[in-house]
Amino acid sequence: MTMALRPQMTPGTSVSAVAHAALIVWLIVGWGFNSDPLPFEVTQVSVVSGDEYAALVAATSPQPSTDQPDAPAAPAADTPPPPAPAAETPPAQPTPEAVQPPPPAAEAPPPPAPEPPPTPAVVDDTAPVAPEPPAPVQPPPDPTLTVSPRPAERPATRVAPTPVAPPPPDTQIAETATAAASQDAPSPTVVEKPAEAAAPQEAASQIVPEATPPSRAPTTSPRPPARPPQAARPAAPQTPAQTATASSETPKPAAPASNETAVNAAVAAALAAATSSSSASASAANPGPPMTGSERDAFRVAVNACWNVDAGSQAARVILTVQFDLDQGGKVVGDIRQIGAEGGDSTAVNTAFQAARRAILRCQKDGYQLPADKYEQWKQVEITFDPSGMRLR
Amino acid sequence: MTRPFSTYFAALLAAVLVAGAATPVLAQSGPLRITIDQGIMEPLPFAAPGFQAETTGSEQFAADIARVVAEDLAGTGLFRQIDPASFISAPGGFGDQVAFADWRAINAQALIKGAVSVSGGQLVVKFRLYDVFAGGELGEGMQLAGTTDGWRRMAHKVADQVYSRITGESGYFDSRVVFVSESGPKDNRQKRLAIMDYDGANLQYLTDSGSIVLAPRFSPSGDRVLYTSYESGFPRINLLDVATVGRREIQTQAGEMTFSPRFSHDGRSVIYSLSNGGNTDLYRTDLGTGQSSQLTNAPSIETAPSLSPDGSQIVFESDRSGTQQLYIMSANGGEPRRISFGDGRYGTPVWSPRGDLIAFTKQNQGRFHIGVMRTDGSEERLLTASFLDEGPTWSPNGRVVMFARETQGASGASTLYSVDVSGRNLKQVPTPGGASDPSWGPLQP
Repeated sequence: MTMALRPQMTPGTSVSAVAHAALIVWLIVGWGFNSDPLPFEVTQVSVVSGDEYAALVAATSPQPSTDQPDAPAAPAADTPPPPAPAAETPPAQPTPEAVQPPPPAAEAPPPPAPEPPPTPAVVDDTAPVAPEPPAPVQPPPDPTLTVSPRPAERPATRVAPTPVAPPPPDTQIAETATAAASQDAPSPTVVEKPAEAAAPQEAASQIVPEATPPSRAPTTSPRPPARPPQAARPAAPQTPAQTATASSETPKPAAPASNETAVNAAVAAALAAATSSSSASASAANPGPPMTGSERDAFRVAVNACWNVDAGSQAARVILTVQFDLDQGGKVVGDIRQIGAEGGDSTAVNTAFQAARRAILRCQKDGYQLPADKYEQWKQVEITFDPSGMRLR
Repeated sequence: MTRPFSTYFAALLAAVLVAGAATPVLAQSGPLRITIDQGIMEPLPFAAPGFQAETTGSEQFAADIARVVAEDLAGTGLFRQIDPASFISAPGGFGDQVAFADWRAINAQALIKGAVSVSGGQLVVKFRLYDVFAGGELGEGMQLAGTTDGWRRMAHKVADQVYSRITGESGYFDSRVVFVSESGPKDNRQKRLAIMDYDGANLQYLTDSGSIVLAPRFSPSGDRVLYTSYESGFPRINLLDVATVGRREIQTQAGEMTFSPRFSHDGRSVIYSLSNGGNTDLYRTDLGTGQSSQLTNAPSIETAPSLSPDGSQIVFESDRSGTQQLYIMSANGGEPRRISFGDGRYGTPVWSPRGDLIAFTKQNQGRFHIGVMRTDGSEERLLTASFLDEGPTWSPNGRVVMFARETQGASGASTLYSVDVSGRNLKQVPTPGGASDPSWGPLQP
């Protein structure tokens, strides 16, 4: 059995297996002969440890160290060191493989197992060569570091100075299958495909930051330009009529001699236009102060009260937006126009529009109560009817 | 080159700032925008002054038709008829101008004007619908012609048109209901098939009370009725022609019992339950060829199948999970998907004609409910609750559910009720005596 296993095992494993087998056999035999294990065990411990101690004291320190290297040699020569256990028990026991191998030091001496091999090994540590210098624990040699040298940028060039030969073109799969070329077929003229542009291989073995990245920072901070000439400036605060004249003059490209003048003229024109538009609108129709939240809410509530929603209908899935005009009395003028619809088919949208129109017209009565001084802000109204919160759930 | 760039940038910034300063003024000049997300839910008030009798002898028809139209509309719960006593102006002739201000003053949102004429047994009904606040006609005028016997149907058709023009959905007034008419005490109840208008009028009996009949189901075209008959001692599916009242037994797959039939969406085949050897599965039989196919194969009880409007899916009840629940599967069979997961037991599912909802009967904690849910089982809503509500059926437009309600006690009887899909407008459907197992037919042509 051992012969059969040997070719598959490494020498170390074989030695371990044989040693374990021997140890197990020895243990079995030892236990078998001992009819009274309990007292024997107690006495054995004390006796064995004494003998072992004496043997160990007598033995010199190099002995265990030389024995250990010899142990692997023994299985290689196929001569089991413990003859007695081998002859005693059949080697057919495969258990050595399953059993955890004890420390190799225990198997070297054939005598009883209690032999504590670690002890000599510890004694053997006297050799001063073994410990290595504790390099990582070394404190910095110079704690008083006055100047911390900044890591200098490595002037690595990522691009090789000389272009590398382009790689062979990758095989590309054609979209349409092409018949295989036969030997007789005339070889078509090979057209050299232009090699795809490829970046040359990196010269450096690792990626390093650019040594000198191109800087977008301005090299110089230009001083603010001088004020524009007096001629172009006074256009802004002019009256609307004058402003119009000024703005009509500004487009003249010939007047400003330099770019600076042209820009200044453009700024002046923009200012003039804004001033004129605001003043013009203010003069045309003064919208007055914006409508307050309560004024808007009052209008909303007035329409709410007349918007009849059939929650079970398809029209309840339509979000509809309508627009209409109001006269100064708050009454609808002209048609109510549908300007947006979301959800539902055309029939449902039409039904939703009818409901919205009815709501607006029904609740206006003698006119919606809206602030007359803010007519410019509500003369046109846009209402979105959203029944999402009223659908059946 | 840097100087012009920075200068241009400064100019652009200045322009933007100036424009921004002017923006509030410009924004205030736009339309006033508001959003309305809360409205009211109340019946739409309408005025229906009596239809004008244009010929001698048509007065009664005019009055009756106007009354039926008003009852149809008001019966939906979506409309409310304005008391004629509050009218300001006289209705005037059919072609007269409408004084919208007078109708607005009484808050009439819709005005129905009509006229009736009779000539040699021929009845002509015409009507116009007005949107009072819009100050114009809603749709075009319509004229219907028929025999005087069909005056009621003509009134229903007028009401359907009005309903459709205002709600945007088709009506359901010109439709019929087939049901099981019940009479006698509970321990000796006589049952026979009956058919009537949706409002209980024009009742006719289709079978005698010689044998028990159950679960009548209208065909999609409304000309035939499937039902379960115990005439042979065992439940068998019969097909009845409504016009001739002729009937025949459907030759189905061999089995001990066949019941719970329902037409396919095209009316060419019937799906039903077949019980054999103590097991009940769903089957389909082609009415033309007689060929049958098994749709389910499970050791549980599968019954009450109902096809989706497009005929692609079947909803049915099954106790395969241990309790009675609803399942959906392909119309050709396959692995069913459970859709009901609430407490209690679910049964008698019916797919809505709109295709968006499934009505069902639910039993929970000793109470019965009629409810609806989405086809994926979501948004379950219970519409009713009573000692015993069961057997829902949809109106042709999918807006109303009719069902049978039985009262408690030895003298308890079953009657028909209807409820809007919103859960409102629960009301009893007038029937002579007891009634159960209603099946709402389609709109008549």
